[in-house]
Amino acid sequence: MEVEPISEQAPEKIELVDSADLVVGVLAEFDQEGLAAVCDALRMLPGAPRVVVLEDDRAANPGQSKPEAAAPSASSCRVVRWPLSGSGTPDTPVVGMAAAYQSVFAASEKFGARACCVIVSKLETATPGWVRELAQPLVERDLDLVVPNYARRKFEGLLNSSIISPLMRCLYGKRIHNPMGPDLGISRRLFQKMLATERTAGGGVNRVHSFASVTPAALCENLQVCEVHLAARVYPPTDWMNISSLLAQILSPIFLDMERNAACWQRMRPSVSVPAVGEPLVVPQDTGTVDISRMMESFQLGVRDLQEIWGLVLPPSTLFELRKLARLSSEQFRMPDELWVRIVYDFALAHRLRTINRDHLLKSMTPLYLAWVSSYAHDLETAGRTALEERLERLSVAYESGKTYLVSRWRWPDRFNP
Amino acid sequence: MWSQIKQQLAESTARFLTRFASLLPGLAALIVALLISIVVGWVLAAVVRRLLSSMQFDARLARWGFPSVAEWSPMKSPTLLVSRAIAALVILTGFLIGIAAVDADWTTQLARSVVAYIPNMLGAALVLLVGSVIARFLARSVLIGAVNLNLHYARLLSLGVKWMVVVLTVAMALEHLRIAPGIVKLAFGILFGGIVITLALAVGLGSKDLVTKSLERDAQKASGDNLEEPFRHI
Repeated sequence: MEVEPISEQAPEKIELVDSADLVVGVLAEFDQEGLAAVCDALRMLPGAPRVVVLEDDRAANPGQSKPEAAAPSASSCRVVRWPLSGSGTPDTPVVGMAAAYQSVFAASEKFGARACCVIVSKLETATPGWVRELAQPLVERDLDLVVPNYARRKFEGLLNSSIISPLMRCLYGKRIHNPMGPDLGISRRLFQKMLATERTAGGGVNRVHSFASVTPAALCENLQVCEVHLAARVYPPTDWMNISSLLAQILSPIFLDMERNAACWQRMRPSVSVPAVGEPLVVPQDTGTVDISRMMESFQLGVRDLQEIWGLVLPPSTLFELRKLARLSSEQFRMPDELWVRIVYDFALAHRLRTINRDHLLKSMTPLYLAWVSSYAHDLETAGRTALEERLERLSVAYESGKTYLVSRWRWPDRFNP
Repeated sequence: MWSQIKQQLAESTARFLTRFASLLPGLAALIVALLISIVVGWVLAAVVRRLLSSMQFDARLARWGFPSVAEWSPMKSPTLLVSRAIAALVILTGFLIGIAAVDADWTTQLARSVVAYIPNMLGAALVLLVGSVIARFLARSVLIGAVNLNLHYARLLSLGVKWMVVVLTVAMALEHLRIAPGIVKLAFGILFGGIVITLALAVGLGSKDLVTKSLERDAQKASGDNLEEPFRHI
């Protein structure tokens, strides 16, 4: 993904801004009052840093009277229209998100900012002031990466809970609840490193997806990371027609990073927590029954029809266990965490070895992912917050216990035969 | 009269024997060339087989995206296919050399027609190779996409797409080889049309359930019976 030089993107919009201490890219849907509230909150940051808020110029309502771009004033917060959403479409949100991150990094570099934040989410109960909470550790404590820890509902952010968070914890040794944000605070040191890595990697198949690679890059460089407790995030409803594409789009950069950072994660020790800012927020958990028939059906279809593809990726013992699981009724259905973890590791390895086309590989994982979600939904149907935390901790421990399997297969893919 | 017959017989026998004797060195050369080429081909095939086995050619070929080569190969081993193809090539060369020793004109004519046919064979081989790769890729894409859409006839769809591409590819390859073009066109039309009708019928009949389910879901949504899906994945 190429980033245009700043001067070619929107010269008329930046000419009135020469420098800033903090750049905040806003992809979330804020109206003008919301943006003003964000600015008000950021003005309260210690040391009164000069802040530039980048508002996505495509998201802005053309009929609306817009605040003058970078209007010269005594204010320490300026709103600038900026192309943030890149070439992403509703079907390729990851591409759009990566482009937005790159755009914010490039703007931050141009303005010589000390740090930047990317704001993508809408939170349930919080005022726009939460943006300040994300930015404060960067400005006040000179940290390198601030990641969100959203208040969690048990059936939300399932891809993060099932793969992203426990896998990153196991690989990079830090217990981060939302390593891919998507709302992140990033120091100058880190965004400069990301820009340099992107320039080196180029736009080929090994391109860097900024928002997926930020946390691994920070952890491998031993930079200072902290979490900020935030309100629950509003997740978009599941698009069942596109779930496999989204899975592929999100897992692909994670697996690419695994390949890129192999030397780093193979020497990581058992995980430790990262410092947290604020108090965890509690949200009510639904305790009603859930319908998993659709996901179970997808898994059973996968076992029936995708054996040929899974057979190239998974060892015979795993295939045997999957066939056994497919025969269980939905009430009895439970997928052991150890089995799920091995499946994730085997797919990561197949991605690295290019056993089959990478897009096919990741999309063929969808029925397996839905099987894990079904099993997880069974476990937590009537559970409260404590049971949720315990369940996810058990999964993370399973990931960490299975790391020796991953390392062995990674190092000796042909020799190692479980 | 009898003496004339005897003389003619003697002359024709002498002519035949002379001609046969003049052919003998050529025939001997053909047999020797064949024997040598068989030995060289066998040795070369053994060397190639060992070399390819040591570099795990079969596994690598599957990893490079050509697992279907194993299906066409003797004993499902592409290594064996390559080594036998090399041996056959060496023996064919030996045979042509031997033929040249018998009669240079035959060889020239044979070589000319073989050389003229080589571009067609190469073109057909390329079409088959590309077609097989495309067929496999499309079949997998359709299979995975259909399974992820919870379609119960995913395998049938995938097989249909694969065979459509394979039939098209084989017809194109035969057209390149100029083998019975009229029959090929007719057979291709019938086969291709048959596959399309079969797929259309299968999808049409299989979609009944899908449409029913979709209508039921819409009706539930309209009546407000359906509880909101609690799962948020991304």
